[in-house]
Amino acid sequence: MDVAAKLEILADAAKYDVACTSSGVNRAGKQGSLGSSSVAGCCHSFTADGRCVTLLKVLMTNVCAYDCAYCACRTSNPDITRIAFTPQELADLTIAFYRRNYIEGLFLSSGVLKSPDYTSELMVRTLSILRNDYGFRGYIHAKAVPGTSPELIDALGHLADRMSVNLELPSQKSLSLLAPDKSRQNILAPMRRISDSIAEDAESRALVRRRATTYLSAAPPRRAERAFVPAGQSTQMIIGATPESDHQILSLSAALYRQLSLKRVFFSAYLPVNADPRLPSTDAIQLDREHRLYQADWLLRFYEFDVNEIIDDAHPFLATDIDPKANWALNNLDLFPIEVNAAPYEMLLRVPGIGVRGAQLIVRARRQTTLREQELRKLGIAYKRARYFITCAGAYMGTGVDFSRDALHARLASPINGGRHGRRAERAIPGQMSLFETAANGSSVLPPAPSANGALLESAADVEQDDASSAVGARNGKERRQKSATPRSARSSVEEVFAA
Amino acid sequence: MRTPRNMPVAAQVLSGAPEVFDEVGYAYDGSLEGLLSAIFESYARHEHPTDIAPSDQLQPRLGQRIAYIETDLGKAERVRKGLTKKGGRTAWDAVKRGSCSSDARTGNAIYRFVRYAMDEHVGRARPYSNIAHPSVGPLFRLVRSVDQECEHMRQFIRFEHLRGDGIEVWFARCNPRDAVIPLVMPHFVERFNVQPFIIYDENHATCGVYDGNGWQLIAIDDASLSELPLPDAAAEEGLMQDAWRRFYRCVSIDARYNPELRRHFMAKRFWRNLTEMQDETPALRTQGPHR
Repeated sequence: MDVAAKLEILADAAKYDVACTSSGVNRAGKQGSLGSSSVAGCCHSFTADGRCVTLLKVLMTNVCAYDCAYCACRTSNPDITRIAFTPQELADLTIAFYRRNYIEGLFLSSGVLKSPDYTSELMVRTLSILRNDYGFRGYIHAKAVPGTSPELIDALGHLADRMSVNLELPSQKSLSLLAPDKSRQNILAPMRRISDSIAEDAESRALVRRRATTYLSAAPPRRAERAFVPAGQSTQMIIGATPESDHQILSLSAALYRQLSLKRVFFSAYLPVNADPRLPSTDAIQLDREHRLYQADWLLRFYEFDVNEIIDDAHPFLATDIDPKANWALNNLDLFPIEVNAAPYEMLLRVPGIGVRGAQLIVRARRQTTLREQELRKLGIAYKRARYFITCAGAYMGTGVDFSRDALHARLASPINGGRHGRRAERAIPGQMSLFETAANGSSVLPPAPSANGALLESAADVEQDDASSAVGARNGKERRQKSATPRSARSSVEEVFAA
Repeated sequence: MRTPRNMPVAAQVLSGAPEVFDEVGYAYDGSLEGLLSAIFESYARHEHPTDIAPSDQLQPRLGQRIAYIETDLGKAERVRKGLTKKGGRTAWDAVKRGSCSSDARTGNAIYRFVRYAMDEHVGRARPYSNIAHPSVGPLFRLVRSVDQECEHMRQFIRFEHLRGDGIEVWFARCNPRDAVIPLVMPHFVERFNVQPFIIYDENHATCGVYDGNGWQLIAIDDASLSELPLPDAAAEEGLMQDAWRRFYRCVSIDARYNPELRRHFMAKRFWRNLTEMQDETPALRTQGPHR
C-alpha cells in the first residue's frame, strides 16, 4: 500500500481528535536546520467543516487492542483495514509536508499495537528520527497511550513540544462503562507525571540560568538538553455520550487547569460512529452545547472567572440562548453599569461585548482620551452589546431599554442581524411562527438535557431577587471578589471530581 | 499657518486671493520613500495637501492642483529620523507596515499621523498609543489589516519543489491584497533556511527570492517570470500534492459540515493558489449534514 493510501486511512481515524493547536512554544529557526515554532501557532488550512489543519494529525497505527465503545478503531470493529506507518515513512512524510508549508508539525497519536509500551517505542523512534536525524525544529504534539511506562513517557516528552492524555469521558463511571480497558489510574497517573516533570524541568532550567558568579570554565558547556514538554499538556473529553452535566464538566476542567496546570481542555461533541447499546442512539450532535462549554472555558482561562461564578449545582447546565458571560452579567446586574474611563481592567473584561483585546485597547486609549461612544466604536468592541452595561464619562449608554434582567436578556438573546448570520442551521428565528414547525423541531440540535431552560430562567430570576435584597451596596469590586473567591480547602481534587 | 479650511467663511470670500482656495494633492511613486518625500515636501512648501496618493491611484478633485513629488532618499531619511525621534520606534514601525497596504487611503492616513505625531501630539505617552484619536485610528486599522494579510501569507503560501539541470528551488505563487512580501520574507527565511525558494506575488508583480544566503525583493511581471528558466516539478511533487489533497479531504467531519466557517477563515480569494483546493473542487462538497 502506498503512503498516500495509508495516510488517508490513518488520518481518517485520527480526525475525531479535536486538539489541533501548534501554540505554546517559541523556537527560533537555526541556520542549517529546518523549521521554527511561534508561540501563537499557525493554522495552515481549513476543512469543509471549518476546523483548522495545523498539524499532520495521524495515527501511528489503527490496530488497537482496546475496545472503547465510541471509537472507530476498536478491536471488535471488523470493517476497517488495519495498517501501520513505519517510523521512517512517517518522518519522511512530515518533512515533505513541512517543506511545502502545508503544516506546522506533527500530531502523533496511536491505537494500541501489541502493548502500550511497544506502541510508544514506535512513536519515540519516529520523533527521534525527526528531531535527531533531520534536526526538525517544527512543532510536535505526542499523545501518551494510557498504560505506557514512565520511562517512555519521559523519552516522548523530551522530543515533543506538547503532550496529551485523553480523559475521554467526564466521569469515572462513564469511562468504565464505555472504555472498559482504560481506568482512572491509567489516565490520571501519566497526566500527573507529565505535569510534575514539566514543573521539575522548568525549575532546574531556571537554576542553571541563574548564575551569580561567572567562572572561566575550561570545558565548553554541554549542549543543553531539550526541554520537557515546553508547550505544556492538554486533554480532551467527549460531550453528550454520557449524562454528565455542564457543571460537572466545567468543575473537572477547572480542577485540571488548577492542579495539573493543563494548557487546554478540549471538548468534542459526541458523534455516532458505532452502533452500540451503551451509546445514545441520537443523530443530533450537541454542537451548541460544545460551543457554550468552550465559551465558559475561555472565561476560566482568559477572563479570570471562577468556575462557581459561571455555573453552580442549582443550574447544572449553561443557558443555551445567551453566552455564559452575558448570563453572569445578568445575574450580577448590581455591579453594573461600570464607567469605561475608570473601571479596572478585570472589571472591563466582565462586560459582555468587551473581550480581552477590547479591554486592552480601552486601557491603552483612555490614558490619553476620554472614551465616548464614537471612540469605543472605533476601537472595535461590540458596542451594541456592551452599551447596556457601561457609562461613558458618567452618561449611561444603554438608554431606551429598561435596566432589568428580563429586558436585557431579551436584547442579548436576540439573534444577530435578525438571524441572517452564523450557521445555516440556525437561520430560523426561534419563536417565529413557521409552516414547518414540526419539521424544524425534529431537526433541532439543542441538547436534550437542558430542556428545563424555562425553569432555569425562573430560578435564575429568583437568585437575582435574593441578591438584590441581600446585597444592597455590593457595587465595589472588593465585595465581588469576596463573593466569588472559594476557599482553597473547599476545592476538590481532580480525582474527586472525576470520580463524582 | 492658517489653512483655508479652518479660516472663517467670510474671510475666505473677502480675501479673494486665488491661493486661499488653492487645494493641492501630492502624487508620489507608490514607494515608502516616495511617501516620506511627499510628507517632507508638505513641510518644505508650507502646504497642507488634501490628498497624498500614488500617482496611478490619485483621482484629482474638482479644482485640485496636483503636484508630482520626486522621490528623494535624503528627504525620506530626514522624515524617518524626525518621526523616530518624536514618536519612537513603534510609530516608525507602524508607518512602515501601514505603507505596504493597497488601500487608497494609505497615503492620507500616514500623512495625517505624521503631522499629528510631529506637530500636535502632547504628553509623555507615544503618539501611536492614542488610538482613539482621529489621526491615529485610521493608521491603526490599516496596520491591523496589513498584519492580518501577513498572517494569511504565513498560513496559505504553498511551495512546489522544482528540480532539474542542477537547479533546485521551491516555488510559491500567492495573491495577497497588500504588498506584504517584504514583511513575511524574514519568517520564511528563518523557517526554510535549508531550501532556496521564490515567493511570487501576482498582484504586485514582485518576487521574494532566497538563495541560501540572503533574500532580495525583485520586481518582475508574469510574462518575464514565464521566460525564466525555472526547472520542472520534482518527481515526488505530484505524489506529495496528491497525498496532501487526500489528507485534507478525509480529515473533514461530514456531520459538522460548515462551509461558511471555512470561507470565514480561508477566504475564497486564496483558493486558486492553494494546493488542496485545486482540481475537482465540487468533489470537496461532501454530503450535507443529516439535519
